[in-house]
Amino acid sequence: MASKEELLELLKDGVINYKEEQVKEASQQAIDDGHLALEMIMDGLAAGMEVVGDLYERHEYFVPEVLMCADALYGGLAILRPHVPKSDSDTVAQVVIGSIQGDVHDIGKNLVKMMFDVAGWEVYDLGRDVPLEKFVEEQLRTDAEVVAMSAMMTTTMLGMKKVIKMIKDKNPNVAIMLGGAPVTQDVANLFGADGYAESAGNAVQEGIKMIGRLREFEKKKER
Amino acid sequence: MVLLPAIKKLGYNFPSVHRNAERMAHSAIESARMFNLDSVVVPFDMCWESEALGNEISLYEDSEDILYPTIPYKNWTEVDQVEISQDDIDNIMDKYPMNLLPEAVAIVKKEAPDLALGVWQLGPFTQCGQTIELDKVLKAVFKDTARVEDILDKLSDMIINIGKALQAAGADFITLREPGVAADLLSPKTFRELIQPRLTRIMSAWKSPKVLHICGSTDPLVEMMWQIVTDSGGQAVSFDIKNNLLESRKKLGDDAIILGNFDVFGLPCAEETTVEQAIEGIKTNIDGKVDAVWPGCDLWPDIKEANFRAMEKTAREYHGGFKFKTDG
Repeated sequence: MASKEELLELLKDGVINYKEEQVKEASQQAIDDGHLALEMIMDGLAAGMEVVGDLYERHEYFVPEVLMCADALYGGLAILRPHVPKSDSDTVAQVVIGSIQGDVHDIGKNLVKMMFDVAGWEVYDLGRDVPLEKFVEEQLRTDAEVVAMSAMMTTTMLGMKKVIKMIKDKNPNVAIMLGGAPVTQDVANLFGADGYAESAGNAVQEGIKMIGRLREFEKKKER
Repeated sequence: MVLLPAIKKLGYNFPSVHRNAERMAHSAIESARMFNLDSVVVPFDMCWESEALGNEISLYEDSEDILYPTIPYKNWTEVDQVEISQDDIDNIMDKYPMNLLPEAVAIVKKEAPDLALGVWQLGPFTQCGQTIELDKVLKAVFKDTARVEDILDKLSDMIINIGKALQAAGADFITLREPGVAADLLSPKTFRELIQPRLTRIMSAWKSPKVLHICGSTDPLVEMMWQIVTDSGGQAVSFDIKNNLLESRKKLGDDAIILGNFDVFGLPCAEETTVEQAIEGIKTNIDGKVDAVWPGCDLWPDIKEANFRAMEKTAREYHGGFKFKTDG
């Protein structure tokens, strides 16, 4: 029987080296052995993803590697998440996420979604090529605190501005997060957004930081 | 390249100019004429080949916004499902909508013989991402390299044939655009091993003049891009706004022909950009030692006319004058 530390290492290593089967097996083993699922997620899967972020930042990993790491992480998350007790997994917050109409690229969007999934948010994924009004309708329906939109092309970026206006008109307290290759901090400011990630890679870095902050938060809760 | 004031003048709506050879040709010519540009470039969207291979496209005919055609769902969902036949490769120009392209080229050639006529093709990796989901392709680069190489080779053959057909129809220059391999997506090592040989083969098969363009992060690829151009008998490289132009000039030397790099949204379109700022943007581009003023990526069609006219004028007059061209 593997110790808790060994299982955490298997999860972390499996995410870093995109060994999906290893992650799934270690996740199942952790559940069978009665280890805390949330601890496995945070100190195993999420810890591995933080290392992936470092490797990306140092240009040792590129988007293909990060995508494979994300597959491994999701393999473990699917097994572990249902075993997180309700009191531990109380939803942190809700986010509506999607790629804007006219844009069928969703790599960046899916990486950001992963970040929210790991962090325990309730994610309403509208997919890609999402009509502008749909973001507004879904935010109103779910009362989500955050709306995250991505556009990979200049040609679709302008739709974001309309969505932000429509949402802020109805509910000024909603935080809007923008992402995608053509989006710059200036554009985000101009459109009235509250935050932005400039590319899939930047989304990874932002996501890793967020996961890191969440891990610190979980540790403080334990003390 | 298509500009909104031009198609408004012609009485066309945006979705109607993409799959009608006559409207596409006239929109492109009017865009160039209206703003005194030196070249006409067709087509406008990136879905042609994928549509010819059997995917349905969305033209967004009901949208009031300017939305370029996309492929909402692709028939092949996994890399191992991709099947590009010899018939696809050999007879791609007979399949709809590819059969419209030579027609559009011929119309432009006939009606605007004074303007340089440009065409373009996506590179095989980006084209692969138009036929199956890009994330699947990116992962398969590692998980199923042989399969990806086989697909890229077949697509390269197809792209060569399309380029030759468009040149035969009357195109004066051709640009190979491969935005899906930028250094923020693929590593330079993967570019060198997987992409460079295929881009070289494609460009070698085409007549000159020919240009290689890559959007996104290209600083680590600059030398390899130029090597592709020189190895294939090409003429120029083109970068988008993310490239450090001065550094690229240092790396490639004064003999290399470098195009692109100006902000295609910020300068001509952004609401808050003044005419003076648009002019400064073009001056900065020229001071960055480009050999001609050429957009860093697709121009957003909804330009502010005053900004765009000032940009064109600056390109012609600053430091004795540059040609003002378009690549998308």
